[in-house]
Amino acid sequence: MSLRNSLAILRHELRVMWTDPSTVIFVIAMPLVMVALMKQLFALALRDEGFAGANGSEFAVPAMAVGFAAFGVGYAGFTFFRDHGWGTWDRLRATPASSVDIMVGKVLPTVAVTFVQLGVLFTLGGPLFGLRVSGSWVALGLLSAVLALALSAFGMLVTAITRTMNQLNAVGSTGGMAMAMLGGAWVPVATMPGWAQVIAPALPTYWAMEGFRDVILAGAGVRSVATPVLAMAGFGALYTAIAAWRFRFEDSKVYYG
Amino acid sequence: MGLGRTRIAVDGLRVDDGLMLHIYGLCKAYGRLQALQGVDLDAQAGEIVALLGPNGAGKTTLVSIVAGLRKADSGVVEVDGMDALRRSADVRRRIGLAPQDLGMYPVVSVRHNLQLFGELAGVRRTELKARIDEVAEGLAITDLLDRKGGELSGGQKRRVHTAIALLHRPRLLLLDEATTGADVETRGHILELVRELAAGGSAVLYSTHYLTEVETLGSNAAFLDHGRVIARGAVRELIAAHAEPVVELVFEGDVPPIPVRGAAVDGQRVRIPAPDPAATLVEVIPQVPPGALSAVEIVRPSLESVYLTLTGRRYDEADREGAPDEEKEGKRSVTTQ
Repeated sequence: MSLRNSLAILRHELRVMWTDPSTVIFVIAMPLVMVALMKQLFALALRDEGFAGANGSEFAVPAMAVGFAAFGVGYAGFTFFRDHGWGTWDRLRATPASSVDIMVGKVLPTVAVTFVQLGVLFTLGGPLFGLRVSGSWVALGLLSAVLALALSAFGMLVTAITRTMNQLNAVGSTGGMAMAMLGGAWVPVATMPGWAQVIAPALPTYWAMEGFRDVILAGAGVRSVATPVLAMAGFGALYTAIAAWRFRFEDSKVYYG
Repeated sequence: MGLGRTRIAVDGLRVDDGLMLHIYGLCKAYGRLQALQGVDLDAQAGEIVALLGPNGAGKTTLVSIVAGLRKADSGVVEVDGMDALRRSADVRRRIGLAPQDLGMYPVVSVRHNLQLFGELAGVRRTELKARIDEVAEGLAITDLLDRKGGELSGGQKRRVHTAIALLHRPRLLLLDEATTGADVETRGHILELVRELAAGGSAVLYSTHYLTEVETLGSNAAFLDHGRVIARGAVRELIAAHAEPVVELVFEGDVPPIPVRGAAVDGQRVRIPAPDPAATLVEVIPQVPPGALSAVEIVRPSLESVYLTLTGRRYDEADREGAPDEEKEGKRSVTTQ
């Protein structure tokens, strides 16, 4: 692998992304609106659980952050489909950059955007919604970084198994939404049906919500979030392995746009 | 198929240090369609080899395999002595590819497009700016460097598309239908740059279905037909060996019998091979009924007549037969000379 090649592609992808920042603005602004709308509802749920002083942002902020991060898993794949549409895919493949260089250079911007998205929400959560983080901010950052990696790896997996933009949109958005819902980012896992509570731990979003909850409400530090971090890293590695196994660089993908 | 001093060993491995591209026994099938059926082809350093053939002859498949974009079923492909089928970074560093379909990022500037591909090709950042300026000048795109790729005309895009392939001074340049849809000016710039690159010691594999363009370029040529190389050599030699002038008579109504050896009827046309066209006309014209003839043409020997002699088919007809369905139906505009 060549770091130089990956960085060249990374810089380029960020430049392309910067030409139309509306998607990035949307995935940061919309969760803020949703937190404002749902905060009161979650305040009641948290008070029922025994957190008497909770104002709802303790659940709403991480929930919306995870939900919208999961909803955007298809973006990593979009850059691959877009290159097929623009005729640049074969040009990239004909350069000395290896498949891994290209993959890393294209996925890292999505990881970065997801990480920034999570970071902005947690940072603005205090001044805008009264969010108090009782635990470690480093732990919060660590959980956010690993979640961003795991979700981007899932995006690569979706890219590997889809052939057209429509399939990517359908599988990416519904898969991301299902992952957010079943992982407890829309409603607390404890309030979900029994079968859903059994499925939830099989998703990285569940472990993200568990980790964020521990840090925000229970004062957890870096060591205390080792289990959710390792679980999410494991899912990320699994998704990456399956994506690498299924990805065919020579296959053409159909882009509409 | 090799030129001059090239010798090919029985196992297909090259034995000549001047050889930049060596292809031996290359086969590729798409399902039941045999796209390449044992292609042998060499290109020396400094040589331009025009890869000719109608649509569907296998040109793009061949170029794609050499560039590492497709896998071969069997055969040998070496670039500068290295196994190209393993698609190593070292091989790709020596290759410049301008694929048939235009490829650039439309939302960023031409300069950023060139920067990305220059960096990936291994050009140092300190040299890259000078190299971009140099290539831009050669292709007359200096004024376009700060414009977005999507804002360019078709001909301008074609020039930028070609420039991307040249940034790292490749030892082997692969141009796949480089002038398709290009205006006269763009075509001139591209052909001039191809000549310059070859003069600098690079080998150029120039895939095209425009035969007259190759005659202008004065390069060597290889005819690909149904996945096989059916002729290879200098254009003049190919014409001398495989073609002779033809006298073509066009009739208004029914074609009358023309009792001349070798005369072939095609619709309302009669083609007569004529080593001495004047003598042939003197012999034929008195046998034509008065008023039946609408036109007479002496067709000089060309690559097109080479193709006709070798395959028995007219080149333009074979081109249409092999074209994608939408081209046959006229749904896509195809620029021809």
